[in-house]
Amino acid sequence: MIENARSLNIAASLILLVGMLYILGPLYLTLATASQSYEFLLRNGLAWYPGDQFLNNAARIFTETRIPIQMFNSLAVAFSLAIATCILSFLSAYAIVYFRIRWAGVAFALILATIMLPVDIRVITTYQVASNIFSPINALLDVTGLNGVISELFGAPVQLELSVLNTHFGLIAPLAAHGTGTFLFRQFFRTLPGDLFKAARMDGAGPVRFMFDILLPLSRTSFAALFVLTFLSGWTQYLWPLVASSTPDMQTAVVGLARLLPDSDGTVPDFPMIMAGAVIVSLVPLLMIALLQRYLVQGLVLSEK
Amino acid sequence: MTSESTLFSNRWLPALLVAPFMLLIVLFFYVPIFQAFYWSFFLEQPFGGGSMFVGLDNFARVLSDREFWQAGWRTILFMVTGSSLAVLVPLILAVAADRKIRLSLPARNVLVWPKGVAGASIGVVFAFVFNPFVGILAPLNQAFPGIWAPGIDGTDAFITLIAAHVWGGIPFNFVILLAGLQSIPRTMHQAAAMDGAGPWRRIFDVQLPLIMPQLFLTLVLEFTESVTSAFALIDTITHGGPGGATTLLVYKIYKDGFSGYDLSGASTQTAILMVFVILLTAAQFVFLGRRINYER
Repeated sequence: MIENARSLNIAASLILLVGMLYILGPLYLTLATASQSYEFLLRNGLAWYPGDQFLNNAARIFTETRIPIQMFNSLAVAFSLAIATCILSFLSAYAIVYFRIRWAGVAFALILATIMLPVDIRVITTYQVASNIFSPINALLDVTGLNGVISELFGAPVQLELSVLNTHFGLIAPLAAHGTGTFLFRQFFRTLPGDLFKAARMDGAGPVRFMFDILLPLSRTSFAALFVLTFLSGWTQYLWPLVASSTPDMQTAVVGLARLLPDSDGTVPDFPMIMAGAVIVSLVPLLMIALLQRYLVQGLVLSEK
Repeated sequence: MTSESTLFSNRWLPALLVAPFMLLIVLFFYVPIFQAFYWSFFLEQPFGGGSMFVGLDNFARVLSDREFWQAGWRTILFMVTGSSLAVLVPLILAVAADRKIRLSLPARNVLVWPKGVAGASIGVVFAFVFNPFVGILAPLNQAFPGIWAPGIDGTDAFITLIAAHVWGGIPFNFVILLAGLQSIPRTMHQAAAMDGAGPWRRIFDVQLPLIMPQLFLTLVLEFTESVTSAFALIDTITHGGPGGATTLLVYKIYKDGFSGYDLSGASTQTAILMVFVILLTAAQFVFLGRRINYER
């Protein structure tokens, strides 16, 4: 620092200490409670120190609840969402940045607008679309009068029906319709020197070759950053998985965890077991953050610029 | 060389590359949004019972509903208090972490952890930590009965929601703001110090003005975020209670649509909420965004 301000440094340290306490406090209490028994909770209330019942509580999560299979669902959803987002975003950003097309600006605006209205806001009608993904086609046929013609000719109008509710695809697709990744790749492509493109063209590289041999290897870090970011977002989604899955076996772990809380007040819920569930459910994303923090931070910063 | 060589000129390949993503976005983003507005002019029967054009009746019904206005004001209250705190707290932490003291490194690590904890998970945890009978405030309740009762007192429930919301919002805002602070050249600090500006003065006259783009961005995103992310917290901590004190619009829409089967009412409220979010974002860009100087 510029001047030797010890008192300021002490104040800054205190602020950071309080901040870390705010983050870690609830996590510590979760862990401590998860390792106590229900009887302990009823007798002493909140556990300030860890006990020896964690394995016991965790075993009950694995045997008495659907969390294990829901963890698998979460993993499948988060992983496929991250992969799909990476591929779709990369392709669309590549088309928008590297081709002379008149509609590039419009396409980018249409994609970017998705950031403004997340799925939580449009959940009612997204659910309706997911319950029959052909409904727009049916409506289009009705409105254009084509269905009238068809029913004249064939005796019945076209009414296609396919529900993606309660499928993994249905859990993922509305979440993947999100523009952050395209934005991230576009920003990254624009930082690359233009000479790179010219040199590749002079060497005779076409669009496909340029994408696979030059752009793809250069984008490795952006891919990692976007993957981590989307994986975490997929794992932590709540409202959409809640409505899009109708059976416990299709729900994600976060939804399953929230279902463990009883709806009514009155009795004290079995908090040690629920907290053990919270620990188990958060283990995968927290581990990911611990191992891949560099990419996460990079992703957060990149998605901003 | 002419500009010919700066871009590929294929016509169909780019369309093919964008098509899958566009299809997904149209189907699961634009169609639902269109349908919400469309339905707000129709009386929809649940279970495919047909629909009837009713003009502005749905809007009249929703706008004369006292619960709608209550939920709307609660949403705005949550947005203002929740998001200003969710930017202010990370800002203070980022300024402190930027001083490169011994704690900066562990703090930068720990403060991103909430990114891995789902809103619903932290909701479950906060429902426990702030439980009036067994939580951290239970001893206080024993000394002064009824002082902390989120199950009865709407303000207490609201405070719990805000505390959980700020907790979950720290990572993103902290990382963005710290990155902004760290990109300020050291020479700026040194020059300001030479001119006699103390550390406090430099925070307000050098650091804050220079991270305005980041502050603006976090605020814009945080406003949308607070409208939507609240759902998971409400559904796990308060269930909208007590007495509707924490029923924000997202929660009310969900309840009306999925428990009450009032598709028209829920769509109308969705349409209103969307227009509100869009106007809010636009207003921020017009009134705040324009004054921000992105040059360094």
